[in-house]
Amino acid sequence: MSGVHTDLLSLTNPQTPVVPDELASNPDQLLAGVGEAGSRILAGPKAVAGMESLVDHLDRLGPLPGLGDAAHIRRVVEESGLQGRGGAGFPAAVKMRTVAARGGSPLVVVNGSESEPASHKDRTLMALRPHLVLDGAVVAAEAVNADQVIIHVHRESRSAITSLKNAVQERRRARLTEPRMDISYGPSRYVAGESSAIIHFLEDGDARPLTDRRAARAGIHGRPTLLHNAETMGHLALIARRGPWWFRLAGTSGAAGSTLVTLAGATPPGPRVFEVGGAVTVGQLLTDRAGLDAPPRAVLLGGYAGRWVDGRDAWDQPLARDQLLARGLSLGCGLLGILPWEACGLAETARLLGYLASESAGQCGPCIFGLPRLAEGMSELAFGRVSRRDVRQLLRRSATFADRGACHHPDGAALLLQYALAVFADDVERHIRRGPCDRKSHLPTFRVPTPSGAGWR
Amino acid sequence: MGKLLVDAVRCKGHGICALIAPRLIDLDDWGFPVLLASPDYDPEQSKLAKRAVAACPEQALRLVTEVGP
Ligand SMILES: Cc1cc2nc3c(=O)[nH]c(=O)nc-3n(C[C@H](O)[C@H](O)[C@H](O)COP(=O)(O)O)c2cc1C
Ligand code: SF4
Repeated sequence: MSGVHTDLLSLTNPQTPVVPDELASNPDQLLAGVGEAGSRILAGPKAVAGMESLVDHLDRLGPLPGLGDAAHIRRVVEESGLQGRGGAGFPAAVKMRTVAARGGSPLVVVNGSESEPASHKDRTLMALRPHLVLDGAVVAAEAVNADQVIIHVHRESRSAITSLKNAVQERRRARLTEPRMDISYGPSRYVAGESSAIIHFLEDGDARPLTDRRAARAGIHGRPTLLHNAETMGHLALIARRGPWWFRLAGTSGAAGSTLVTLAGATPPGPRVFEVGGAVTVGQLLTDRAGLDAPPRAVLLGGYAGRWVDGRDAWDQPLARDQLLARGLSLGCGLLGILPWEACGLAETARLLGYLASESAGQCGPCIFGLPRLAEGMSELAFGRVSRRDVRQLLRRSATFADRGACHHPDGAALLLQYALAVFADDVERHIRRGPCDRKSHLPTFRVPTPSGAGWR
Repeated sequence: MGKLLVDAVRCKGHGICALIAPRLIDLDDWGFPVLLASPDYDPEQSKLAKRAVAACPEQALRLVTEVGP
């Protein structure tokens, strides 16, 4: 752990002033809830206090400092090492540079969709700290010389919407000199949170992913569009105030900054969104915040289209993105689902795949025909009788899904299935020999929304 | 020369491309293309790739020389 610390110190750029007490308090390990000691992006009042007003926000953090011209802001972001928190972990500075290089009249989109059913981190941040998200959007706008910000949310995200509306109004009343801000309300569908789907929606009112990646790159009505996840924006607001090195110090040498995670599945009642940083492990998070004292059966990492990890393998795994990546894992949208020993991972996976299949936008062959078939195959394995050959065929089928849809929805579903077959290999074997286990009757650990039938407009 | 791309939304699974360029394109269980390889600098395969692109009734297949992110 101290190794991580010194690594980070050696990165300190002599030209960037670092406030000494910030350094002294910088965490080797960060694990905190809303308003708890040590928290950074979640710092401020406790959750019961509700939305932090503009006055309180400015009292606590001061105004956004002027950071100089766009190129300088992009350099600061680059120094911070900030990677997008929407799932893919793409370096924010690279995206900004690409958008800035296109000139024209760019705009900034905050992706507040949070379409992962069990994820709550973006909604928590938007509901409790809307001004942090909006400040970040201002920084993003300044980094690419944009004069407009659109905050895109799903229509059903009530508390986030209430806070964002309030916050935008407070800012207007305070006459802050900043880009124009509008809120956009989209349909609450899973793939509607994908970036090209949002661009499509803002341009044409249709929230299905765009097939032509060139069109997505071209942006909304030809305006270069910088789109970032809501949490990414929150980090930008703090980087602008405290500097890139303050941000870096909460991470590891390979993964800058702290990250929000949501606990899901078999969790005790209470808060589910936490900020983690440094070398905090899955086991520490689950011990501290989910009351576990031993590894669960498995952990679902990254979202409903994420990856299963055996609980015992996951226990000592640091949550830092680089260290997950080193094992072929990803934190995705920050979802960490707990599968207890009483549950059947195959049955859970079957339900998740059924949900993912029902959420296809129905545009691409592999997604229309392939996903329902994967879901059916998984259901037969979990609840019916299958042969070894059936399972092999299912696996072989799932291997043809990579990178073939207009969006990565089918890829995610196929990976979930492949990880389930590997992590629950013993169960697969038992199901093949003896049919479904009695654990299948265990109530679903991961709840999937009932198909809303909501359209795409 | 180049890399094949399928527009997954346009593609209706006719499968003609796989008949023309079987070394580059396979079909999945539902008749939709799975890209096996790109023609790159192989002139023979490049010719087949171009022919497959031209034959697609949905104009769902493209041959590009450079792909962005
Ligand atoms: C099927 C699908 C759904 C997605 N849903 C969301 C979402 O709800 N919220 C989000 O921020 N990103 C979502 N993403 C990722 C976005 O496409 C995009 O990469 C991200 O918002 C970019 O922000 P970042 O650079 O700050 O990470 C989704 C991606 C896919 C493939
Ligand atoms: S891959 Fe599926 S979800 Fe993605 S655009 Fe195609 S049909 Fe829609």
